[in-house]
Amino acid sequence: MSAIALEGIEKSFGATRVLGGVDLDIRAGEFLTLVGPSGCGKSTLLRILAGLEAPDRGRVLIGGAEVTGLRAAARNLAMVFQSYALYPHLTVAENMMTPLKLRDLPRAARLPVLGPLLARDRYRALRAEVDRTARILKIEPLLDRKPGQLSGGQRQRAALGRAMVRNPVAFLMDEPLSNLDAALRVHMRAELSELHRRLGTTFVYVTHDQAEALTMSDRMAVMQDGAILQTGAPEEVYADPDSLDVARFVGSPAINILPGRIDGTGGLGALGTALGRFRTTDAQKVAIGLRPEHLSLAPAGASGFEGAVRHRENLGADVFLHVDVEGIDRPVVLRTTPTETRDLAIGAAVGIDADARAALVFDETGRRLRFEAAELVRIA
Amino acid sequence: MADVGQAAFRNAAPRAVDGASSGGFRFSTREAIKHAVLILGALIVLLPFYVMVSYSFKAPHEIMQNTGGFFGAQELFRDDFCIKLGNAEEDCMVRPLNYNYTTAFEKAPLIRYLANGVIVTVSIFLIQVLVALPCAYALAKLRFWGREAVFGLVLFCLLIPVHAIALPLYIMLAQLGLTNSYAALIIPWTISVFGIFLMRQFFMTVPDDLIDAARMDGMSEYSIVWNVMLPTAIPALLAFGIFSVVAHWNDYFWPRIVITGNRDLFTPPLGLREFKGDADGDNFGPMMATACIIVTPLIVAFLLAQRRFIEGITLSGMK
Amino acid sequence: MASRAHLWFVAPALILMVLILLLPIALAGALSFTDYSLGNSGASFVGTENYERIFTRSTYEKMFIATFRYVGVVVPLSVGLGLGAALLIHSLTRFGALYKTIYFLPVMAALIAMAIVWEFALHPTIGIVNATLERGCGTFLEAWPWYAKGCDRTFPLWLTDRDYAIWTVAFIGVWQAFGFNMVLYLAGLTSIPRALYHAAEMDGATSGWDRFRLVTWPMLGPTTVFVVTISIIRSFQVFDTVEAFYPQGGGPSKSVYVMMFAIYEKAIQQNLMGIGAAITMIFLVFVMVLTLIQRWLVERRTHYG
Repeated sequence: MSAIALEGIEKSFGATRVLGGVDLDIRAGEFLTLVGPSGCGKSTLLRILAGLEAPDRGRVLIGGAEVTGLRAAARNLAMVFQSYALYPHLTVAENMMTPLKLRDLPRAARLPVLGPLLARDRYRALRAEVDRTARILKIEPLLDRKPGQLSGGQRQRAALGRAMVRNPVAFLMDEPLSNLDAALRVHMRAELSELHRRLGTTFVYVTHDQAEALTMSDRMAVMQDGAILQTGAPEEVYADPDSLDVARFVGSPAINILPGRIDGTGGLGALGTALGRFRTTDAQKVAIGLRPEHLSLAPAGASGFEGAVRHRENLGADVFLHVDVEGIDRPVVLRTTPTETRDLAIGAAVGIDADARAALVFDETGRRLRFEAAELVRIA
Repeated sequence: MADVGQAAFRNAAPRAVDGASSGGFRFSTREAIKHAVLILGALIVLLPFYVMVSYSFKAPHEIMQNTGGFFGAQELFRDDFCIKLGNAEEDCMVRPLNYNYTTAFEKAPLIRYLANGVIVTVSIFLIQVLVALPCAYALAKLRFWGREAVFGLVLFCLLIPVHAIALPLYIMLAQLGLTNSYAALIIPWTISVFGIFLMRQFFMTVPDDLIDAARMDGMSEYSIVWNVMLPTAIPALLAFGIFSVVAHWNDYFWPRIVITGNRDLFTPPLGLREFKGDADGDNFGPMMATACIIVTPLIVAFLLAQRRFIEGITLSGMK
Repeated sequence: MASRAHLWFVAPALILMVLILLLPIALAGALSFTDYSLGNSGASFVGTENYERIFTRSTYEKMFIATFRYVGVVVPLSVGLGLGAALLIHSLTRFGALYKTIYFLPVMAALIAMAIVWEFALHPTIGIVNATLERGCGTFLEAWPWYAKGCDRTFPLWLTDRDYAIWTVAFIGVWQAFGFNMVLYLAGLTSIPRALYHAAEMDGATSGWDRFRLVTWPMLGPTTVFVVTISIIRSFQVFDTVEAFYPQGGGPSKSVYVMMFAIYEKAIQQNLMGIGAAITMIFLVFVMVLTLIQRWLVERRTHYG
């Protein structure tokens, strides 16, 4: 277990710049998620950390020692791949034993047929390791099967087993859940978190699914266009995003963005409704982010915005109401309870109240404008 | 075209194209006509096989007079060659079947020819794999300077039939003093650009993750080729192996050119040709027996593993 | 990380490609302008004399005639019969696999062995072919003038008859090759989606011929391009049967003097390497141009088809 640091990592493929000077510190033992839309460079960053790809510039440090020039195998990292990458011609047990054999056995003992005879005790020890890991993952009955005979979930466990068996300094996971069906994916999230707590080893996890990042990680790093936009605990990133892009990417349903402006007296307004007042006189156009849970239903004609119900998305405990509001292209989504909206018909006129203190304000470049809470006075 | 070769073998149950003949066992004139045409074709196709097997059973006079049906009467007849050697007549009476096959093995070192055939075909296949597999892996999965150029060269070399350049190859081998040797039989075939192309196409379908996983596990590039890529490529290699072995077991042109006179190096086709060369009228039986012996191994293997063989032989269709 | 492994992986193949495939072409090209022969210390430059000879002497005219006759018969027939057999077999409800096996047998058997057997079967006096034909004498078959003539005098000598030799050799070529084409066509047929036939039916293609024109033949296009090219290349390379039947001279009146045999005879038997190299070069040009045309056709299809 050691800390990992990536310093000024740059990488281009041909003319395409994939990573533009990325810095990232990963604390020992933490579960860090690299999250971002596809093509943002997160997988490349992970592969550079793994040693499967060489950076054009920058350094990789594991436990304080530079490993930038070291081969993948020498870094003692384990990786779980999206396609699991199990050797199709070997049984699960043999798959799990491969990294151990390559690391622990001398060349002679790795000879086919002859090897297991020469180094019988060592093979027995390795097999014991494999069995122990298999017990943790509850895959003992699968050990003698080949990958082709396993279901998706079972392959996933086998791949985890192959990574776990050699006690690496860190686990690297590249979208390991994306090939599973929805129910299994949710189940595996819990199981991976549990596994992380149990092993206490550093996990570096790559995903495009912000829900996975929010549910599992200690910290998450949101990436876009080859750069890390923000790093922090999931709650922090969710509640206090540094930029419009981060706010948009994290959270489902996505945050509502309303066009607004600050006038010369510091008044903040959106769609003709005053939301509050700043102690600022820089008049400018802004984007106002309001999460669905910070909006609530109000009687039509009262204060706030008005619109017509377009769609009622019932999730059982919550109902997300999609409301068309004049002046915005996309419907505004607000979280309500089933009882509140039971009698609402599609097309009905409703009013929306906003909790202005929770509003996230971004300037025209998408940068967050932060103010002391007291500065924003609710008047709506 | 890529799936042409493979689709051939899923063709286990032929289905009706025109719908008219599908379903039920009712007699249909149409179906009967089709069978009549196909049976006529089958008779013509099988004719030489019939002649070959039948003559290898028969006594010389039965062959000359076209009597004795398929198996011949199997009556004892006098072996003149045996008499010539000064044996008594009663010791020289032989059954045709026995005579034909024992003569085939005694008159020429047929076992030696067969062994040569095995040595040559197996060596060719092993060297082809040894050369082609790493190259195909590099072309499919490694990024290096000049990769496209090497692959372009492979595509160009696919245009060249080795038989067509036999003459300059022969001159080169003659200058090196290598004619009349196993090396001469094997060397021109050590490089199979088709094999490289085929394996490269196959390796392209192997996920990169698998190779990365192997690297993370601590495998060197060499052991990735032989311990990861080779086992995953077994089906393709098997098909290629059949392709290669059939082609070189049956090859007559190249051995004919580079093996002149040294009978110890004759491959089965050369041995058979030699037999024909000095056949006097009486020796048709043993000659047909030799032909049977040479043709049988591949035919039997084909009948046992038809699917795989058709797959292998039509591999070139996958271009 | 900077692994040099690829060098070791690519180098052997690259070296062998250059030595075994490219160098010989260059060598043949160079020798084709000389009068080189093995055992002589040197060779003198003779310019295009070898090529001139090939395009003027009657021997080589016969070579081209024999080669093109052979290719001209074997390619259409082996492709046509292959397609026909595939269509028939594919449409059968039962026993299709059996026919497929039988028709594929000649592809597996060593051609030299089968050539020797054919020579027997076609033997004018003791051969099974003429013996069988004679049995048909006196029946309705005599209504066919050719047959009546055969019964009257003798049936053809086949391989030793100047008028029949090249066609007989070509027949054996067809016999050997059409099973291979059949299998490729069967594969092509299997990969045609059934839905297309149903759509054709709905569109009013009711007869078998309509469906063949509308669906089968166009869908078999890529297969046909490939089958035709490989048939041409293979039949250009015919050697085994010719050498087995006519070890000297290329058949009656050189009527079966095909190119590969010409190379063998001139260069290996008579040690006239220059002329052999020139024939080799012409041969290579034929084959490469054909393959390039095939590739062009295939690419056009895959990109715009």
